[in-house]
Amino acid sequence: MEVAEVTTFLAGTTPFDQLKTTELASLAEQISVYYCQNGETVQLSSERLMIVRTGIFALFSDQQTLLTKLEEGDFYGYQLLLTGLADNDQLVCEEDGLVYWLTAEAFHQLRYQYKNIDIFFQRLFSRRLHQYKAQQQHSRFTLKVSDVVQARKVAISGEQTVQQAAILMTEKRVSSLLVEQDDRLVGIITDRDLRSRVLADNLAAQTPVNQVMTAKPHTIDKHAYLFEAVQLMSRHNVHHLPVLDKQQSYSMITATDIIRSQQDHPVYLIGEIHRQTSVDGLEHCASQITNLALTMGKQQVPAHEAGHIITTITDALTQRLIKLAQIEFGPSPCVFSWLAFGSQGRMDQSLNADQDNALLLEKEPVGDVADYFAALADFVCQGLARCGIILCPGNIMASNSALRLSLKGWSGQFAKWVNSPTPEALLKSSIFFDLRVIEGSKGLFNALQNDILARTNGNTLFLYHLAQTALQRTAPLSFLRNFILEHDGKQKKGLDLKKRGISVITDIVRVYALSAGIAEINTRQRLVKLASNGIMDAKDTQNLSDAFDILAQLRWDKHQHDLTEGHEVSNLLDPKVLSGLQRHQLKDSLTVINDAQSALKHRFCREM
Amino acid sequence: MLGWLQHKTTPLSHIVQTFNQCLPPAGNIRAAECSFLVIDLELTGLNAKRDHIVSLGWVPVRQHEVVLSEARHYLVISPVSVGQSAIFHGLHDKDFDDARELADVLTELLQRYAGYIFVAHHCQLDYRFLNVACQRIFAKSAKFSFIDTLNIELYRLQKQGIVMKKDALRLPQCLSRHKLPQSNQHHALADAYSSALLLLSQLKHSHADITLADLQLQSR
Repeated sequence: MEVAEVTTFLAGTTPFDQLKTTELASLAEQISVYYCQNGETVQLSSERLMIVRTGIFALFSDQQTLLTKLEEGDFYGYQLLLTGLADNDQLVCEEDGLVYWLTAEAFHQLRYQYKNIDIFFQRLFSRRLHQYKAQQQHSRFTLKVSDVVQARKVAISGEQTVQQAAILMTEKRVSSLLVEQDDRLVGIITDRDLRSRVLADNLAAQTPVNQVMTAKPHTIDKHAYLFEAVQLMSRHNVHHLPVLDKQQSYSMITATDIIRSQQDHPVYLIGEIHRQTSVDGLEHCASQITNLALTMGKQQVPAHEAGHIITTITDALTQRLIKLAQIEFGPSPCVFSWLAFGSQGRMDQSLNADQDNALLLEKEPVGDVADYFAALADFVCQGLARCGIILCPGNIMASNSALRLSLKGWSGQFAKWVNSPTPEALLKSSIFFDLRVIEGSKGLFNALQNDILARTNGNTLFLYHLAQTALQRTAPLSFLRNFILEHDGKQKKGLDLKKRGISVITDIVRVYALSAGIAEINTRQRLVKLASNGIMDAKDTQNLSDAFDILAQLRWDKHQHDLTEGHEVSNLLDPKVLSGLQRHQLKDSLTVINDAQSALKHRFCREM
Repeated sequence: MLGWLQHKTTPLSHIVQTFNQCLPPAGNIRAAECSFLVIDLELTGLNAKRDHIVSLGWVPVRQHEVVLSEARHYLVISPVSVGQSAIFHGLHDKDFDDARELADVLTELLQRYAGYIFVAHHCQLDYRFLNVACQRIFAKSAKFSFIDTLNIELYRLQKQGIVMKKDALRLPQCLSRHKLPQSNQHHALADAYSSALLLLSQLKHSHADITLADLQLQSR
């Protein structure tokens, strides 16, 4: 008979939430409830699945490294039930709690009955394997030879003729062959050899391959890193390397294979961008950003590096568009600086960022100067929009005439924000304080930045109001450290990683940076500078920096996931999809934000 | 599973006799090794002679685990209307269509859980009502061996020197003190389950070798 408390919990727990009430009741009957005490090692059993009802449990590997933490609604023991293989992990209770034990019979019955539940546990299992891989390999993952070449062995024996070799190459559409004798690799022959050693030397078509082949070629193991192959090729000036698997020939890797594998490398894409002569061409280049993002994800490029790379690409697109505009409208009538604000300014741009830019002009924007830059700005902003960087909904763009000003004009604008700050004005203008020059005069830009920092440095009234705006949004944690979820327009529930996390940190750090006249714009760099200048406590900056990285990483992973699933890229994350450890890190990060906000309030809003 | 039904032909007093013959474990046994049956009754009033049992819920605890497959909840056919007490347990006369005879329910209880240590939160009341019911139905007293999670909690708190507020020993307050999930109060099975969780926590927070006799002492 049904214990309501148990069935209610099961009904709210993925993947059981899809079961009908009657099924939940019979599932509950297959459960025994156990109370686990802090410090106790959970005795795992091959007969049952563990479901965490309350409490916190830490999972350690046999090397005593912490793998993950399990909390309410997490599972353990599925790997043993799924594979029959035990591991040497240890599960230790960290906070008293209740554990449900579900019989293996009921577990298998469920998997058999519900494909979705089966998939759920299979995925949990594979994610766990992934975790182990990440644990073993501390260094960053780079491409290996085996990632690039397929097991495609095209071989010929040394006694066969060069003509037969030529026929085989044509047939298989390859530029080189492995030469084998008794299943052993003895050499390679390339189409270049056929040209320079056979045709040029006037040898007969019946010449045996072993007379003209390259004997004892350099080889590379299938498991070697790709860069090792590159090094080997350039050192010996060869374009073909036989690939071995356990000393047996496996395939051939060519210089072309390597180039092809690197095509979506940012360096290549940026090179491409600077070669384009039309907006159409740039649009085509920009369409590769998605693939690039996915590749970076696969290579486990950390979020902050990915943000940097994406910004660099946006910079390149902007620079090229300005060049194209100057080709179209002629050379500019005066010196200018193209400015970027917000995330592009801070170099932590994400995949769904919009445009935030403006123009700083040497001369006052009147007459011809005004017309020229209006046309240029429109060309660049529309061009960026075609490249997927959407127009700014708040019209913070160079195409807005209010944002095409001379140094005097900008200086006046900043003076207004700094000297007589109103909360509404600051809320809208705070992103203007994160600015960077993308194209044009660096000197002009430096003059403006120095002007701004001189105004903000130690200006208590301004800093008070700026701090107030940084306190407006709070981290989505309830009093009891539960996540507060919000809905987006499409009724999806989640946690806005940007609005309620990353941006809050950015806002906090900006206040400190401006208070001390720090010229750095990037949030992580600002934190480094704040710590080294002693403006902020080293531990606090480290915590904020870590929290910033974790949130940025979660958002980056979320965007990757959205891209793979073909969804629109969104910042809204459902904490349910996270592993126990990630959930912990997220909670910790949000707590760090709360603490940093109180410190900010204490420091800048006290005497007002 | 319905084996106990076949015994219906045996003389009624025999059921109690068999139950009483199966003695509970000796006092010096470790409490961890005992089998417990956590029980809760919903009543029409507090007077065992005059009032009636409305429903029973129970769940066994064996080897430190609450065994949900044996959780039971029975409504009892009452000789009188539920009346006023409906305010507490939310049961109305119309809910009693699939209710059972108290004799059947008690027979199942006695035949299945002989030798168990019975557990209730504030057990005196449950103990009195069960006793009177056994007298009336079987004409013989069943020798229930009860421990009381309320008194154990009282003992724990006094030992820690904690000043108790009003209601501190009520089940919901005990649950939140032990950080256990709350449940629907005044439902016999829900309350029995909650008491079972409380017992698990109390056992874990006692020293590992606590004996049954110790528990019985704390229950007084």
